[in-house]
Amino acid sequence: MIWTRATRIRILGRMNVHTYDTKDIIYALATAWGTAPIAVIRISGQGCVEALKPLFSRPEALGASASHTVLHGDLIDPKYKNPIDEVLVTVFRDGRGYTGEESVEISCHGSIPGIESIFAQLKDVGMRPASPGEFTFRAFMHGRMDLTRAEAVMEIVSSQSRLSHSLALGRLEGNLFSLIEEIKQQVLQVVSMVELQLDYAEDEIADDVAFPFEALEEAKRRIDALLSTYEMGKLYGEGARVVLAGATNAGKSTLFNLLLREERSIVSEVHGTTRDFIESKTVLDGIPVRLYDTAGLRESSDAIEMEGIRRTRKLLSEADLILLMLDGTEHDDTSVSQYRHLLEDPRCILVWNKTDLTTKPPAKGSYPLSAKRGEGFATLRDEMVRRLTKETDRPDGQALVIESSRQRDELKHASDALVRAVALAREELPMDIVAVELAEALHALGSLTGEVASDDILERIFSRFCVGK
Amino acid sequence: MDYDAIVIGAGHAGIEASLALSRLGFSTLLITQNLDAIGRLSCNPAIGGLAKGNLVREVDALGGEMGHLIDASMIQFRILNRRRGPAVQAPRAQADKFTYHRMAKETLEAQGKLALFQDTVVDILLGEDNSKIIGVSTERGHRITATVVVLTTGTFMEGKIFIGEYEARSGRLGESAAIGLGTALRQKGFTVGRLKTGTPARVRKSSLDFSAMVEQPGDPVMMPFSFDYQTIDRPSLQCHITWTNAETHRIIRENIHRSPLYGGKIVGKGPRYCPSIEDKVVRFPERERHQIFVEPEGVGTEEMYLNGMSSSLPEDVQVAFIRSIRGLEHAQIMRPAYAVEYDYLDPLQLYPSLESKHVKNLFIAGQTNGTSGYEEAACQGLVAGINAARKLAGEPPLILDRSESYTGVLIDDLVTKGTKEPYRMFTSRAEYRLNMRHDSADQRLTPKAHAVGLQPDEAMARLQEKLSRIEMVKDLLEKRKVEGRKAIELLRKPEIGIADLMESVPELASFEEPVCYQAELDVKYAGYVKRQERQVDRFSRMERIRIPEDFDYDALDGLSAESREKFKAVRPLSVGQAGRISGVRTSDLAILMVLLARRTDHDDEA
Repeated sequence: MIWTRATRIRILGRMNVHTYDTKDIIYALATAWGTAPIAVIRISGQGCVEALKPLFSRPEALGASASHTVLHGDLIDPKYKNPIDEVLVTVFRDGRGYTGEESVEISCHGSIPGIESIFAQLKDVGMRPASPGEFTFRAFMHGRMDLTRAEAVMEIVSSQSRLSHSLALGRLEGNLFSLIEEIKQQVLQVVSMVELQLDYAEDEIADDVAFPFEALEEAKRRIDALLSTYEMGKLYGEGARVVLAGATNAGKSTLFNLLLREERSIVSEVHGTTRDFIESKTVLDGIPVRLYDTAGLRESSDAIEMEGIRRTRKLLSEADLILLMLDGTEHDDTSVSQYRHLLEDPRCILVWNKTDLTTKPPAKGSYPLSAKRGEGFATLRDEMVRRLTKETDRPDGQALVIESSRQRDELKHASDALVRAVALAREELPMDIVAVELAEALHALGSLTGEVASDDILERIFSRFCVGK
Repeated sequence: MDYDAIVIGAGHAGIEASLALSRLGFSTLLITQNLDAIGRLSCNPAIGGLAKGNLVREVDALGGEMGHLIDASMIQFRILNRRRGPAVQAPRAQADKFTYHRMAKETLEAQGKLALFQDTVVDILLGEDNSKIIGVSTERGHRITATVVVLTTGTFMEGKIFIGEYEARSGRLGESAAIGLGTALRQKGFTVGRLKTGTPARVRKSSLDFSAMVEQPGDPVMMPFSFDYQTIDRPSLQCHITWTNAETHRIIRENIHRSPLYGGKIVGKGPRYCPSIEDKVVRFPERERHQIFVEPEGVGTEEMYLNGMSSSLPEDVQVAFIRSIRGLEHAQIMRPAYAVEYDYLDPLQLYPSLESKHVKNLFIAGQTNGTSGYEEAACQGLVAGINAARKLAGEPPLILDRSESYTGVLIDDLVTKGTKEPYRMFTSRAEYRLNMRHDSADQRLTPKAHAVGLQPDEAMARLQEKLSRIEMVKDLLEKRKVEGRKAIELLRKPEIGIADLMESVPELASFEEPVCYQAELDVKYAGYVKRQERQVDRFSRMERIRIPEDFDYDALDGLSAESREKFKAVRPLSVGQAGRISGVRTSDLAILMVLLARRTDHDDEA
């Protein structure tokens, strides 16, 4: 069985198995956290229908409802008997819900204060908020989902854009699985051939077969092709970091808001602990973007401000894209040179703001913008997308990409082992040594798809060859 | 109790089991149907071969007898697969079958605490609650009691042989089957299946034309299988090779309907890797010829073994197809080829100690567990004997794992996956074969046998001596310069062997061949062995996650029904073993691991 403990820790570790208790009733918002017409709250755990009864305006109907039925009614505050929200409740009886447990889905109005007050009531009747991935964990533990699908669900849940969502969905449907399985079969074929040579004495099998270099190199090429999708998968899965830098009053906040307004699918707003920077999430052309509005870059002796600048520098070093914003009314080609170290950075785009307030020509290579009026914004935005996707081919939504570093590591491992196997075979080292590397490659691929037993190698040998003695 | 232990059957498994028990100090009775058939080489007159040769040397390192027996009876010796790499090389020897049998019987007779008795066991006796064995009953009406029993019935349990239309209740041609025991075990709830194997015809040497065949000589130097001595000096005989042809295949095809295999009379499944000649002809119609080895059965006999020609076709057909082959045109058939079908007990019913899960103190080994081959039988017999003895002494069983021996691989495969056809050992069944070379069996297993009590202090001293001499060779290679480079660096090159350094480093000549050979391999393959060791580490981690014997699989609602049934049937003792059960889903294993991890956490808190 090919299932290393490291894999176990990585996958299960992500699910926090040790802290989950499958006996509790858990709840969570199944739709995005934000203002929307409708929100869905999912509740799972034995006895959750019974527990919900005191909060529902029609407790008897709820208690008597069959699985997969929808009830209309009010959620009420049991203390004051006043309705909190008008809702639809869908009941899934034991074994029938997403998690394989008794569960309930409440469709309510999507206002944040409304949802919060429902949560408070749920807590009052003894339920607790679900930890990240806990629903998937339960589904998995109740046999509703296998491990690779569970892993894909985990990524869908945490995916930051629609595109990465569809990539993970492809994996969920087993596309990646079948591709890796195909490559694995290719390697297995070679292993079977090598093992056949090793399992029988020279005089039993007439001729040595030529080592199939071609087949291994082909398998390696296919693995490498999949590996090269990792950067793209990462971009769409984890998102790009875009940092706005520049002097205070250059108009960074205006551009920040422009970028945020670009897409309606703003996920949430997270504030920094200090006022060093503001982080916000948005989506540009399908690419999830984490946008940082930083403190100014000017020198300062103020200790607090210096700390802010230090953090800005750190942000800059981790950025995928830096927008250096300068006030066009204050700068010219010469004064720009003080930002030389940033401008030389290939990740940097120079944005020349406040073109509406000056007639001076913008600096060479800069992107003129009037953040206030929105002039020049479309061009800037296109350039940002172009820069972010420069290193990667854009997936068409159907293409297979790998996103998790586990997959990347195992594929890399397989590719390296194949390289070594080919090299050893070229040096004409004995086949049993080459076989160690092939086994290593098979192991790595197997850990992505499931099991490789030495049984299926034997199976192949005997189905395809005639042997004596 | 009449004895501490009873061993049923005196084949290759029974010999090892009875010797291990008596050598460990327990009064033991060995019951056989025929004292003249002890240690008989019923099929091929040879011991060893790829992976099998490793098993023989493991048996020897563990304090078993097979290595001594073949060393004393070999009439040809070869190291197979010299070209294909160190891990897959193995010794194979042709045996003089009379000497092999005589040495086996003499060894048993010379052993203290061991009684031999000729009778046929027809049933086992169970204690009051039917959960524990207390003895056996025999055909002649004896009831003999013992605390532990080792069952090694080979092909004799309800054995039936087939030659075309002819069939007889025999375990071997001319030797009657053990009737009744298989039925009795079925009635006691054992899962019993049928397997089939076969053996080729024996032809008379003086009727063959060897000038029309290709000679196959042995190696110039014979090497012992046993680690107890360094050299062996016996005369070597030739084997020969010939081939079937289009005419042979035509005769077989035209008569295939007369084979009991194709007529449906044989229900037992035969081995895929050792198919009968008719099987090969039918399954591989594109092959123009198949290889036949003509091997002597012994020194004082004219009988020759036609390796590669097992068959169950009628005798007139056998005569016709054998005589269609070059060199065999005038062959006189002395014994016909035949197929044998017999009862075996599903090995999933065993713990890795080879003790039955249903009946305590009953150990089962050899062909009875669905294996094929003398070597496979011997290593099981030895482990069953050791563990029966440890049970008597109240000690935990000796369980060898997959990373340290072929014996461990074999037993783990049997008790974890079961088998539906005769199980033969192959090197590819072992994941870590670089660590399991035949020449390192003593390093791997002798200390364990010493701890068990089957290897004397001298064996340990010899092992230490060998290890220190290997180090001395490596030191020498490290210090000596050849053409301006360290000798050890030169040796790392694929094209240079230690023999090439003899001239420049003459002191090497004073070291024994096995010592030089091991030093060479250590130097050459250190990197790969290290990689393999990392793989072993990975494997061991899974083995170390233990599953309690009484684990309640019904309480895990997430398991697939299929995996649940398999877990319950096998009762794996570790997650590693659970993962090797065929058809167990990865996610089921993961569920199991999560629960065990939580359980451990819980235990830690408590």
